[in-house]
Amino acid sequence: MEHACCGLKVGQSVSDFKMETFEPAKGDFGEISLEALKKAGKWTILFFYPADFTFV
Amino acid sequence: MADLADQHENFKSSNAELITVSTDTKFVHLAWQREEKSLENVKFTMASDPTGEVSRLFGVYDESTGLDLRGTFIINPEGNLVASEVLFYNVGRNSEELLRRLKANVYLSGHSDQACPARWTEGAKTLTPSAKLVGKVYEAT
Repeated sequence: MEHACCGLKVGQSVSDFKMETFEPAKGDFGEISLEALKKAGKWTILFFYPADFTFV
Repeated sequence: MADLADQHENFKSSNAELITVSTDTKFVHLAWQREEKSLENVKFTMASDPTGEVSRLFGVYDESTGLDLRGTFIINPEGNLVASEVLFYNVGRNSEELLRRLKANVYLSGHSDQACPARWTEGAKTLTPSAKLVGKVYEAT
């Protein structure tokens, strides 16, 4: 915890990232990237939580 | 999670993509979403960060457990971080407050001379900071 690094601050530009996904709406796997979301003109909300099968 | 699912349509209508993230794999996301009754209405993207790379970028990765803290972030369409909040493991969040923050930022992206005061909600009065407003905020709100 003390060594948590790289925490972005508000106002900073976010570097591109990619993640594999599960898309419940399609029942299929996919991939997202910030680059693609920016190209689509979207606002992005990232909602981190500790683990599946717990309360979120 | 069910709380977020209830608000999902409202996020979508503000042109926002809602993405939940944990260090679980996409396979576990699938299994959880299908098994847990309270997630049956979930339609938003569930992303997987098993190496913690994205979680570290946002400062929510707990190296001692390999899990993510409860961090919530809003990124505008230009790729800038406009809102950031991190809670510890034991406190849940409020999707209405997240939606309020999103709507305030969306509104201000088209009205950059204005500001949304405390407890602002969509349609409420905003402030336009200026020399005239100094010492007169009580009259303006």
